[in-house]
Amino acid sequence: MPGRLHPVVTFTFAALILLFTGGPVLLSLYGSLVPDRVLLSPDHSIVTEGPNFETYRYVFTGQLPDSYQQESANRAMISDAARQVPGALVNSSLNALAAMILNLILGAPAAFVFARYVFPGKKLSFLYLILSPLVPAVALVTPIYMMLEWLGLVGTQIGIILVHTAKALPFTVLILSVFFRKIPAEIFEAAELDHCGRFQAFWRIALPLALPSVGATGLFAFMLSYSEYMFAMILSGDARTRPVSVVMAALARNTDVSWSLLNTGIFIAIVPTLVLVVLVWRFVVEGLIGGAVKG
Amino acid sequence: MKRSKLLAALALASGFAVQSAQAEDLTLEFVVWNYSLETIQDNVKQFEQANPGIKVKVTDYAWPDYHDSLILRIRGNTPTDVVYGGQDWLPAWGAAGFIAPLESVAPKGTVEELSKDIAGFALTDVTYDGKVYGLPYYSDTISFIYNKKILADAGIAVPTTWEEVTAAAEKLKAGGMDKPIIYEYNQELPNFYDAFVAQSYGRGAELFDAELNPLFADPNNGAYKQLQWIADAYSKGLVQSDNHESTIITAMNTGKHAFTIVYTYVLAALNDAATQPLAGQFALAPMPGETHATLGFAKSYVVTAKTAADPVRAEAAWKFVNFMAGKPYTVAKRWAVEKGLGFGQLPLFEDKDVIAAWSKWADVGALGKQASIAKAGTYTEFSSVWSAYFRPLLAQAMVGEAPVDQVMKDGAQRWTELKEQFANR
Amino acid sequence: MWTSNRFPALWLLPALLPVILMTVYPIGHALWTSLHEVMILFPGEPFVGLKNYQRVVASNYFGDALRNSLQFTLIAAPSVVLLGTLIALFLRRRFFGCEIVRSVVLLPWVLPGAISAVLWVWVFHPSFGILNGILRDLGLIDASIPWLTNPQTALLAVAAAHIWTQIPFAVILMMAALAAINTETLEAAAIDCRNPVKRFRYIIFPEVKAMIVVLLVYNALTAFTSYDLVYAMTGGGPGTATTLLSFQIWRESFSMYDFGAGSAVAFIVVIISAILIAAITKALPSDLFASN
Repeated sequence: MPGRLHPVVTFTFAALILLFTGGPVLLSLYGSLVPDRVLLSPDHSIVTEGPNFETYRYVFTGQLPDSYQQESANRAMISDAARQVPGALVNSSLNALAAMILNLILGAPAAFVFARYVFPGKKLSFLYLILSPLVPAVALVTPIYMMLEWLGLVGTQIGIILVHTAKALPFTVLILSVFFRKIPAEIFEAAELDHCGRFQAFWRIALPLALPSVGATGLFAFMLSYSEYMFAMILSGDARTRPVSVVMAALARNTDVSWSLLNTGIFIAIVPTLVLVVLVWRFVVEGLIGGAVKG
Repeated sequence: MKRSKLLAALALASGFAVQSAQAEDLTLEFVVWNYSLETIQDNVKQFEQANPGIKVKVTDYAWPDYHDSLILRIRGNTPTDVVYGGQDWLPAWGAAGFIAPLESVAPKGTVEELSKDIAGFALTDVTYDGKVYGLPYYSDTISFIYNKKILADAGIAVPTTWEEVTAAAEKLKAGGMDKPIIYEYNQELPNFYDAFVAQSYGRGAELFDAELNPLFADPNNGAYKQLQWIADAYSKGLVQSDNHESTIITAMNTGKHAFTIVYTYVLAALNDAATQPLAGQFALAPMPGETHATLGFAKSYVVTAKTAADPVRAEAAWKFVNFMAGKPYTVAKRWAVEKGLGFGQLPLFEDKDVIAAWSKWADVGALGKQASIAKAGTYTEFSSVWSAYFRPLLAQAMVGEAPVDQVMKDGAQRWTELKEQFANR
Repeated sequence: MWTSNRFPALWLLPALLPVILMTVYPIGHALWTSLHEVMILFPGEPFVGLKNYQRVVASNYFGDALRNSLQFTLIAAPSVVLLGTLIALFLRRRFFGCEIVRSVVLLPWVLPGAISAVLWVWVFHPSFGILNGILRDLGLIDASIPWLTNPQTALLAVAAAHIWTQIPFAVILMMAALAAINTETLEAAAIDCRNPVKRFRYIIFPEVKAMIVVLLVYNALTAFTSYDLVYAMTGGGPGTATTLLSFQIWRESFSMYDFGAGSAVAFIVVIISAILIAAITKALPSDLFASN
C-alpha cells in the first residue's frame, strides 16, 4: 500500500480533483434550476428566487414554464428538441451497451492470443489492428456512409452499433492484451500441466484474473459509443432512433433554446449515464483495489 | 464468428423491413435543419391529412451540419425528394445537377404566378440561371441591433454611420463597458460573412460588378472600408467575438454589450419576455452607413433532380412544396406569427395577425422599411466554395493577424481564379 | 509465450473482420480519392497523381493549421497522461470520501463533446463566464479576460477543455495498470525506498510503462485528429488561432466540394500521426509492439 499523506494534502488534492472534474457539471445543474432572467441578473440568484423546476417539467410533460402565460410572451426560446433527450438517452444506452458487449466478446479472445501466443501472421494482423485507427474518421465518412447506404443500414441503430464497435475494437484488443500479458506466465504453465486447452486457459484463468480490467476496457467501448458524434449524426435519420450526442449537439446550437432549457437537457443527459457508469466502475475499482490482484 | 453472422443477418433483415414499409403509400423524403422541428412536423401532418396517399418522412440535421449531411446524402444516393435550400448553395446545387427547376415539376404557369408575390431579393436568391429553383421557406434580413436603455442612459443617439458607432462604443467603453460591440464569428458558418456583406451594403457598397468581377479590393470600396472599420474596432478593444448567435442572445441579455449585427430573427429571441431578463430593451436601427441598405436572403424548399425525373414523385413533391410555400401562404404566415421568421411572400406584410405578433418584439414599420431596401447577395456556382476560402482570411484581418489590403487582394484573386475555372468547366 | 503453427483464425477473425470491413474499402476509397481530382461541381474524376497533396501543402492555411495542431497535441496528450497518472496514484489511497472522488472523476466522460463545449464556453465566456466572475470576485482582475477570443489564450483554453474530457479514461486505465503490479514488489519498494518520486521512477514506472505508452499514443492520436470540441468552442478563431489541420479534411471536402484535397489532408495527417507514434514508442521503449 502507498505511504501516508498529510490529511491537509489529501483534502486539497481531493478538492482540486472534485472542482476540476465536477465543477462544470455543477454549473449545468445550477443553470437548469434558475431561469435565464435570474441567472443573468446581478440582483437575483438561486438564493433569492429558489430553485425552479419548470424546464424539467417541460422536458418530461410538455407543459410550458409559467412565464410563457404572460400576455406579451411569444412561444420562443423553447424548442421541442429538448423533449427528445429522455428518449435519446435510451437509444444511446442501447447502442453503447451493444457496442460494449460486442467489443468484449469479439475483442477479448483476440487480445488473449496476441498476449500469449506466437503464430504466423501475428505481427501483420496486430499491426493492422493497431494502425487502422490512424486514418482520421473524417476522411472515411463518405465511403462508410456509402457502404452502409448500400447495406440499407443508414437510419438504423444497427448501422451505428456496427461503426462504433469497429471503431473501439482496435483499442479494446490493445488494452486487453496489455492486461493479459501482466498475468504471470507460471499460472498458465501450471494450467497446461493440468491439460487445460487454449479455451480453458482463456475462459477459466485469463478472464477471471483480469476481470476488473476487462470491465474498465468495456467501459471504454461503452463511453466511446455513447459520446461519438459524427457517425451517429450521419447515420441516425430519425428523431426516434437518434442518440443523445446528436440531440445535445442540435440543442446546443439551436437559437430557439434558452440557456436554462439547454442546461436542463444537459443535466438530464448526464444523470442516468453517470449512475450506470458508476455502478460498473465501483465493481472495477473494488476488483482493482480490493483483493483481486494477488498475482 | 456467430455474432458477426447474426449481425449480418440482422442488418439484412432491417434493410428489407425498410423497403417493404415503403411499398404501400408514396413517401416523400423531406430533409430539413431542425429549427423548430415540432412546427415542421405539425405542418407535415396537416399536409398528409389534406393529401391522402402521400406520406412525408422528415429527416432533420442541426443547422451547422445540414449542408454537409445533404452532400453526403446525395453522394450516397440516399432517397431525398424535397430539401431546405440556402441562397448561397443553390447555384452550386443547380450547376451540379442535384436539384431541379420548379417549372419541371409544377403545372405550367404556376411558378411564374407565385413568383409575382415574392420580394425582389428573395426571388433573386431562389433563382439560378434564369430559372426558379425554390419557393421561400422564410426570408430575412441582417439587422443592426442595439440596447435602447443603455444608449438612453448614456445619452447617446442611435448611430447612423459606422463612425458614429465607433464614437458611441468609445464613449460607452470610457464609461466602463468593456466590450460595447458583440460580433458573431465562426469560420465555419456563413453568418459572419453575411453580416459583413450587410454592413458593406449599409455603406452603399457593391462587392461585384455586373460581370461578376470583384470590386472589394479597391480601398475606396465600401467593403474594403468596412473591413478596415472592423479591424480598427477590434484593435481599439471595442469588440468581443462570440462563436454562435445562441450565446449572443445570452451575452446581450447580461447588459454588458450595446450593439450587435445578426440575423433579424435573433431580435425576436433577444426580446422574448418569457425567458430573457432584458426583453424589450432591444431594437433594430437602420444599418449604419450612407444608404442603410442591408443584406436580405431567402431559404427555400427545393426539389431534387432525381425526384423531378420521376413523374409520380415529382407530382407529389410539387403538391408538398406548394402546400408549404404557395398560396394562401398559411405555412409562411405561421412561421412569421409563431416564430418571428421573416417571409418572402409580400402579401403577408399586410396581414393583421403578422403585424400583431411582430409588434411584440420589433417595430414593424422599421422592419418593413428595412426589408424594402434590402439587397440580395451575389451568389454563383462557386460562391460557397469561395466564401469558405475567404472567411478565414476575413477573420485574420478582423483581429489584426493580416493586413486588410492583402486579405482583400487574396480574396479577389481567388474569386477570379474560380470564375475562370468554372467558365472553362 | 506459447507457439502455434497455425493462424488462430477462430480467435482473431471476430475482432479483425469488423475492423477490416470498416477500414479496407473506406481507406482504399479515401486513398483513391486523394490521387484524383474529385470536385463534385466538375464532371469527371481524372487521375492527378500527387497534385492534391502539393496543393494542400502549398495552401495558405497549411502552415498555421499544422502548427496549431502540433501545439495542441503537444499540450494535450502529455497533460492528460500526467494528470491521469497523478490522479490514479492518488485515488489508490483510501481516505474519507474517496469513493465520491473516484466517481466524480468519471463525470467528464459521460458528456458528449457538444455538451462539454457548452459547459466550457460557460466557464470561459467573457460576458457571463464563471471563471471571469470568480477572478473578479477575488479581486484578481478588473476586466474580463476573453479566454476564447484572445489569440494568446484561445488554444490553451480549448486544450484545457479537451484535457478535461480525456482525463477519466486515463485515470481508469492507469488505476487498472497500477493495480496489476505485484503487491510484493510494492511492499518491498515501500521499505527499500522512502523517496516517493524515486519509488515511482524506479519501481512503479517500469511496471506501468506499457500502459503509459498506450495512453500517450491514444491521446496523441485523439488530440491530433479531433476537432469537434474546439470548433464548437471557437469556430477556429480568433483569426486562425485555433484552426486545426484535422478540420481541413472536412472543410476541403464539404465546404470547398474538393474531396481530393480533403483526402490528401487526411493522409498527411496519417503520416504525421505515424511519426508521432513512432517518436513516442522510440522515446519510451516497451514490449508493447514486440513481435514475440
